[in-house]
Amino acid sequence: MSDTSVVAAAGATAAPPSERQQARRENWRLVRRRPAFIIGLVILLVWIVCALFGTSFVPYDPFETREIAYARPGGTYYFGTDQTGRDVFSRVVVGARDVLKIAPLAAFLGVLFGVILGMFMGYVGRWFDLVSGRVVEALLSLPTILIGLLAVTTLGKSNPVVIGVVAVLFTPIVAKTVRAAVMAERDLDYVTSAKLRGESTPFIMFREILPNIWGPIIVELTIRVGYAIFVISTLSFLGAGPPPPSPEWGAQVSQGYNDLAAGFWWTTLFPALAIASLVIAVNLIADSVQAALEA
Amino acid sequence: MNTSVDLAALSVENLEVAYNVRGVDRAVLRGVSFSIAPGEAYGLVGESGCGKSTTAYAALRYLPRNGKITGGRVMLGNRDITAMSDDSLQEFRASEASMVYQDPAQAMNPSLRVGRQLIECFTLLGQSNEAARTSAVEALHRVRIADPESVLDRYPFQLSGGMQQRVVIAMALACNPKLLVLDEPTTGLDATVEAEVLDLVRTLRQESDAAVLLIAHNLGIIRSLCDRVGVMYAGRIVEEGPSHQVFDDPQHPYTVGLLRSLPRRGVRKTEQALATIPGTLPLIGTVLPTCVFVDRCPLADTTCQTVEPPVVPVGADGTRFTRCHYPHRISELAAVVPDIPIGVLAASPDNPQVLELSHVSKTFRQRGRAIPALVDIDLRLAEGETLGIVGESGSGKSTLAKTMLGVEVADAGGTLQRDGNAMAGATSARTSDDKRAMQMVFQNPDSALNRSWTVRRILLRAVAKLTGVTGSVANDRVELLAAQLRLTPRHLDLKPSQLSGGLKQRVAIARAFAGDPRIVVCDEPTSALDVSVQAAILNLLADLQADKRTSYVFITHDVAVVRYLADRIAVMYLGRIQEIGPTDDVFKGPHHPYTEALLSAVPSVDGEATKRIRLDGEIPSPSNPPSGCVFHPRCPRAIPGVCEVSEPPLAEVSPGHSMRCHIPIDELRRLQSETY
Repeated sequence: MSDTSVVAAAGATAAPPSERQQARRENWRLVRRRPAFIIGLVILLVWIVCALFGTSFVPYDPFETREIAYARPGGTYYFGTDQTGRDVFSRVVVGARDVLKIAPLAAFLGVLFGVILGMFMGYVGRWFDLVSGRVVEALLSLPTILIGLLAVTTLGKSNPVVIGVVAVLFTPIVAKTVRAAVMAERDLDYVTSAKLRGESTPFIMFREILPNIWGPIIVELTIRVGYAIFVISTLSFLGAGPPPPSPEWGAQVSQGYNDLAAGFWWTTLFPALAIASLVIAVNLIADSVQAALEA
Repeated sequence: MNTSVDLAALSVENLEVAYNVRGVDRAVLRGVSFSIAPGEAYGLVGESGCGKSTTAYAALRYLPRNGKITGGRVMLGNRDITAMSDDSLQEFRASEASMVYQDPAQAMNPSLRVGRQLIECFTLLGQSNEAARTSAVEALHRVRIADPESVLDRYPFQLSGGMQQRVVIAMALACNPKLLVLDEPTTGLDATVEAEVLDLVRTLRQESDAAVLLIAHNLGIIRSLCDRVGVMYAGRIVEEGPSHQVFDDPQHPYTVGLLRSLPRRGVRKTEQALATIPGTLPLIGTVLPTCVFVDRCPLADTTCQTVEPPVVPVGADGTRFTRCHYPHRISELAAVVPDIPIGVLAASPDNPQVLELSHVSKTFRQRGRAIPALVDIDLRLAEGETLGIVGESGSGKSTLAKTMLGVEVADAGGTLQRDGNAMAGATSARTSDDKRAMQMVFQNPDSALNRSWTVRRILLRAVAKLTGVTGSVANDRVELLAAQLRLTPRHLDLKPSQLSGGLKQRVAIARAFAGDPRIVVCDEPTSALDVSVQAAILNLLADLQADKRTSYVFITHDVAVVRYLADRIAVMYLGRIQEIGPTDDVFKGPHHPYTEALLSAVPSVDGEATKRIRLDGEIPSPSNPPSGCVFHPRCPRAIPGVCEVSEPPLAEVSPGHSMRCHIPIDELRRLQSETY
């Protein structure tokens, strides 16, 4: 009996935190000390600062053509200049804005749709689960990038379309996770009790069950943000992103990689590193969040 | 085998164990000492959290990763287990000690055949594959498995719980251990299966000279199996002695409280309330410099709070002791009546019927096969009455409850009536009055309460939904309900995880009573609780019933509890009511042969009954019930040529008492008096 302390301390007016809350708080404290979490957070914060205030501290206008194209990285141009003579460093810094605007929104929408779909699959079950389960599996078997590329080129290249397409691509994946969590809850007695007093199905799903599965949903959200960055960069690299002269990282890589063979590595390497660092940072944070919630 | 008789097989000396919880070592065992002679069985009893299991695991130095032995030692024969190297510890566990766990399904690898797992036990001891197979067959014979070869070829999930536990015991005995630790070996099993396993352990004890350490929360099991018993509280043995002496004449206030909170010797709610032990067990790691029981002891005074109690021998032969300052004042405890008087409603035949089921059946369908879970149930429940429903798992008790409540919908053809009016089968199709009238208390309070809601929200929602009132009126009602269930206002703003098991169950009961129900279905409401908490909950249920004239359908496997609380009892087997009648008639007999077996299977804390009926085999599958009387293949009194041919009707044998048996009642009376 680990939870009797409260009862034993009868007469106290303020409710002391339960063992579980204490354990969770303790876990957060341990997570905050993890080097992985700190590194991830620092990198993420750097990019957020770049996205918010980048335009005010970059050395050059990211769209302005300087006198030399393909200047090597050095003291004047930290990351060199690109094929039209624009400063790569300024473009990488400002380019953070696009991906940080689109990726979290796409991930959030994907998780939102996924939660709703997974909720119905897991709770209503039966034929709905059977039918949507097959559809979800069919969707999951398709190559994400290819479908995304197809959809964006068909529907038009714009941020809302990219967000919508990525969200829809993520929906089945999130739905599977949520479905499993709901199925573990739906046979618990508190749900039976809710039915016995005549609660409606939406009430049971979203008021009774949802608060108990926040843990896996939050973990899924952080993981999805990482994937969204990756997918969006890939899409723009393949030409489904914002058109030139946008400094979006995937677009920059795409504009620069033809010059790789000619030895101009910097126009590709720096935006590629930017993508990698952001994805890794978000994943480091996601891992830590998972560790904290699952402990 | 042990050559020295003087040397104890197991000797635990002043053992201290601590668990490291978030960086702090918290004491769990506070100096436990006891010893077990070869061939002796020693039992440890106490409420959950008192350190029984920790002691058992520490005896094999098998603690969880965060546990460590902080003092004392454990001697097996003349070897100190606490000082052993890891290699010799492994060697010792393989060849000299064995453990049987609570859940046999988890003790076996589900993906390997029984044979492979059992044979491995012997090859590990150095036998060749051929010899190991022969040994495995012998081992299964030893645990009374009739057809060892076929059991060896099966997977664990293809065996029933009782068979699984036999296999686990066979594995435990493979090395001819000097020490056998049994941790709640029958807790998950049905009463009739439990009786078989206990019989087996009893027989095996005579065949080997292993020392047995038995952990059980069921005092009856300890009494029936153990020579000596240690009563544990907060990591210390507070009383020890021969089991029959300790249980018949307890000498420590805790033992007295524990025994008194049990419904015993056929006592009924109309005769007396159950005693409870006020307060709760101290948390692990709490500093308890003097008597560990001081906070809850009715005899405690300043001496108890300042001076550690001595070990006081009881009797002259040196086999008993108690750890108390005032063993001579134990007799004063007899005068202490339960602090909360309970009102009790006596059943009367004049009370109106609130619930009536006629010809209710429930058939599940699985892969096109019909599985009849309930067959033609006729039941009546009067106002203010408690109907106990007993039977082994798979008998249809829970399906019956769910069908009454509309969670499962009865097959077409049966009718449900509440207060004389027909009621829809499904909850969702019922009127709000019908929903309000029938509520449920669940077995496991952890899953019955939404863990992310506060107690206040849980109760407010139930009040609002069932009675339609909202706002401050609803809030007043919640506070009134809480007060009736002896919850303080402070509890209302806590979440379930912050409450103890007993308090959670009170919240669940308060929720069931939110709309002043006519009928409350209680599904094993106390089986997850400790006995002292169980007593408080049973008192409360009886009290609420007297106050509100609520009817209870009380499902349980605990015959002592049902005898205490129920006015009438229905005995179910394979979806059918085999016997139904007033509690005294059902218990005193003549009873249905199945009831007879069920009652005699229960080990009593007051000593074994003289008559013993044991059932062979397992409950048949409901999808393929036996012909004629469904009980005939297991019935010790079956009449050949009659019972397997036709199913007997549920016929009245005395006013209000019916059973389903071909044997005439007078014949049953004669047969059942013979075995006394």
